[in-house]
Amino acid sequence: MFTMGIDIGSSSSKVVILEDGLNIIAAEVIQIGTGSTGPKRVLDEALSKSGLKLQDMAKIIATGYGRSSVEESHKQISEISCQAKGVFFLVPSAKTIIDIGGQDVKAIKLDSKGCVKQFFMNDKCAAGTGRFLDVMSRVLEVSLNEMAEYDSRATEPATVSSTCTVFAESEVISQLANGVAKENIIAGVHQSVASKACGLAYRCGVEEDIVMCGGVAKDLGVVRAISKELKKPVIVAPNPQTTAALGAAIFAFDEVIGANK
Amino acid sequence: MTDTSNMSAKELLGFYQEELYEEARRAKKEGKLVCWSASVAPSEFCVTMDIAMIYPETHAAGIGARKGALDVLEVADEKGYNVDTCSYARVNMGYMELLKQEALTGKTPEKLEKSPAARIPLPDLVITCNNICNTLLKWYENLAVELNIPLIIIDVPFNHTMPIPQYSKDYIAEQFKNAISQLEEICGKKFDYDKFLKVQEQTQRSVAQWNRIASLSSHKPSPLNGFDLFNYMALIVCARSRDYAEITFKKFADELEENLKNGIYAFKGNEQKRVTWEGIAVWPHLGHTFKGLKNLGNIMTGSAYPGLWNLSYTPGDMSSMAEAYTRIYINTCLDNKVKVLSDIISGGKCDGVIYHQNRSCKLMSFLNVETADILQKGNHLPYVSFDGDQTDPRNFSPAQFDTRIQALDEMMKQNKEGVSNE
Amino acid sequence: MSRIETIISELSSISNNPKKAMEDYKKETGKGAVGVMPYYAPEEIIHAAGLLPVGIWGGQKSISKARAFLPPFACSIMQSVMEMQLEGVYDNLEAILFPVPCDTLKCLSQKWKGTSPVIVFTHPQNRKLEAANKFLAEEYRLVREKLERILDVKITDEALTKSIDIYNENRKVMREFVDIAAAYPQIIDPIKRHAIIKARSFMEKSKHTAMVKELNSELKSLPVEDFTGKRVVLTGIMAEPNEVLEILKENGFAVVADDLAQESRQFRNDVPLGPDPLYRLAKWWQEFDGCSLATDAKKSRGPMLIDTVKSSKADAVVVCMMKFCDPEEFDYPIYYRQFEEAGIKSLFIEIDLETTSFEQTKTRVQSFSEML
Repeated sequence: MFTMGIDIGSSSSKVVILEDGLNIIAAEVIQIGTGSTGPKRVLDEALSKSGLKLQDMAKIIATGYGRSSVEESHKQISEISCQAKGVFFLVPSAKTIIDIGGQDVKAIKLDSKGCVKQFFMNDKCAAGTGRFLDVMSRVLEVSLNEMAEYDSRATEPATVSSTCTVFAESEVISQLANGVAKENIIAGVHQSVASKACGLAYRCGVEEDIVMCGGVAKDLGVVRAISKELKKPVIVAPNPQTTAALGAAIFAFDEVIGANK
Repeated sequence: MTDTSNMSAKELLGFYQEELYEEARRAKKEGKLVCWSASVAPSEFCVTMDIAMIYPETHAAGIGARKGALDVLEVADEKGYNVDTCSYARVNMGYMELLKQEALTGKTPEKLEKSPAARIPLPDLVITCNNICNTLLKWYENLAVELNIPLIIIDVPFNHTMPIPQYSKDYIAEQFKNAISQLEEICGKKFDYDKFLKVQEQTQRSVAQWNRIASLSSHKPSPLNGFDLFNYMALIVCARSRDYAEITFKKFADELEENLKNGIYAFKGNEQKRVTWEGIAVWPHLGHTFKGLKNLGNIMTGSAYPGLWNLSYTPGDMSSMAEAYTRIYINTCLDNKVKVLSDIISGGKCDGVIYHQNRSCKLMSFLNVETADILQKGNHLPYVSFDGDQTDPRNFSPAQFDTRIQALDEMMKQNKEGVSNE
Repeated sequence: MSRIETIISELSSISNNPKKAMEDYKKETGKGAVGVMPYYAPEEIIHAAGLLPVGIWGGQKSISKARAFLPPFACSIMQSVMEMQLEGVYDNLEAILFPVPCDTLKCLSQKWKGTSPVIVFTHPQNRKLEAANKFLAEEYRLVREKLERILDVKITDEALTKSIDIYNENRKVMREFVDIAAAYPQIIDPIKRHAIIKARSFMEKSKHTAMVKELNSELKSLPVEDFTGKRVVLTGIMAEPNEVLEILKENGFAVVADDLAQESRQFRNDVPLGPDPLYRLAKWWQEFDGCSLATDAKKSRGPMLIDTVKSSKADAVVVCMMKFCDPEEFDYPIYYRQFEEAGIKSLFIEIDLETTSFEQTKTRVQSFSEML
């Protein structure tokens, strides 16, 4: 039996197809999100890669910011619950999840059964989100994929402390103008993202194991900075951008076999 | 006893600041009472009772100026304090949290260990007064409940109509009485009214010397840079009811008068333009703001902020003391606020005004547009405003500040050259 | 339409259209209205003058003109009030009664951009002292004098006493309504509940009382059905715009009690008895507790909320945090810790009257319902 999870975020679209609640048949990502052609394209791609049809899905659950606009879905579940489900499936020892996506930072606390005990999300501004990294990558002319590598060469991380993205941008520009190495600025940018996320994590109460997911988890510079700030090891969820979609697919499976609740 | 007789004002300032912290630490060790106080709450009562005083706003400003704010701000973030609330309060709540952890576990948290600020002891009681904002009510409520200690409140109602009515002074004077009986209970001893009178007189002598310094910025060129007042402010806050403040301020005023006589001015080189700074300093970027102005040939000769401690009253007269503590310009209607600032600007013979849009301080930010507008209609002086924060370094952009200050400088130049005075 | 539906729809339309409520009052009585700024102004004095007190709570709108006068870190409600002042929305009011219990309101009281005269007064904050009552009674005496002068009326002690009675009656009926509504969440959903309560900000109170009284008795005659959703207590300044309540409703939440400045905080306590009506009004403020704007050395808000959760058999608390409201923001870390210690779950949502995007709120609420 196949189930599907669709996660439509603000800046990317993800689909996971699951067989019998256990095997991941497809896990696709397209880097544009809700309101674009992304959702349809990622769906088509997942189906064509797996050689399956929409009708083969016993149940489809949508999650993410754009979850209510997914016509194919039978049900919607919030990305907090889906992240928890997906991460717990992959890393059963997970107690704290840090999820950094395009416009949200979330810290989620799990109990030993993988249920959400508490969660916190960022307020008001884009500081500490994927969007913040986008802006910085543009200013620094370093692609997102290269940021971690630059970070690893940093000798003395610069301070990028501004809360406001506009201020941070001017902070970074003036550091560039002052000849601070991009490597060190990028390490500073990562530290700033980490400090925001860790503030939320601390509010939940940090307990190991700590797992990171969301698109930003692919940036190992951020992962390192978070681990340093928390003084604890951080596990990156396998294929971290698709964990919420995976969670949705598991929820779908559970519902079909009636194991839910 | 250290011999202070040959110390310069600057040395006295450093010495007495450290001395006050040391006294508080010693008091704690000896089992005596320590009180944390709002910066313009009446100090007279606790000093009469020999309670060691700590002023969290000054302490927070010190942490900010020494670049240690971020660490403690993060502790407050973790406790759920919104980053939009006053950064003095957040620095202090974060610091208090670390002290509390230390007291509970016997282990010094790393952030406390490496904090650049003076170590302070936890309080046994707190006293607050809302003459400079209602945030101080909320902040001290939280301190009292988090530490489970008594809170003394001196509420000075916002003066929406001037002059200050007698019934308002009566209400404040009643609270003084109540504060005294609270203290008698906390200390387990009677309040000594004779000593109280002496403490009031001491406070008046400190305030008189403070005002003497402030008045020197009216000289052109000026022997005093307003930024010095920001530094000396520590003692008008923390020691105005002690002779520490009087001694230091007298020394400083004497030095400045001597300089004036000898033609030594605050601005090395030629002071070109004089500005008023409205609002609290940006402590973590104090150097940047100071140099930014200096590099353009500007000196700050006007600031209403140090005038918050112009607490002159008649010792022995509770109603007069009540009036002194409630008439602070930010606790009064817009008309009066404008009048006070107008005097500051003309007293300092200023050419322009800088308004600090302070993310931490709603009370000192939300009337800036109207204040600036009314003042300019009267004095035709140019002004700029910039975004900043008193202690959260994350809310200030040096680049923005520099651009605004330069624009002000250009406008002041035009004005002086008579190109435009609109 | 059933009687219940008729009453609810009438109150909802008043709560959605205060302007019409004012016009109707004028038609009926020939008298105008006086604006009442938040929070906790003695409306009774206006009522005793025969005018309609009209609550000023801003509204859902995008902010443009107000940007010139307020930086972005002013609270959302005052941003929208400022915007509406600049649009002339409040210019039909005969006067504005303006309390200043927070720093933002102190400033705003000095910069009214409309044409109506503004009467400012200050609440004392050392509230438990007798001297505070005397001070506030004196402030109220001045409010009365200023109103008399502006409106050219006489406000007698007798009229004031009568108005206090009318308000106390309304408060009592509102407390009953809140309890009854909690038993009928299928009928009184979060949006209707809010509208019924908010309508009292724009109506002559005895009228409002009569309608809610009838509603209460109609409701009580119905059988209580099982409710499968979650029961929550709201805390904060206000729970607007309706989209927020809509999200709660969609996720199966019932509001079984509230601690909102716009709602229950106003009628939690009666004005106490006594010979001098102005003194009685002042004493109300002394007895009032559990609000971020009323200084409280004991900080009883958390314990009061925990009691409310228990007595209303709620599953959780929803914190409706007014964006950039510092008094509320300062209370949060304390009661949050107290909730944790008491094992009470809470959800934090941000109240922003300007926003049109509720995606994050949806995510938070849905996640919370999945978590409970």
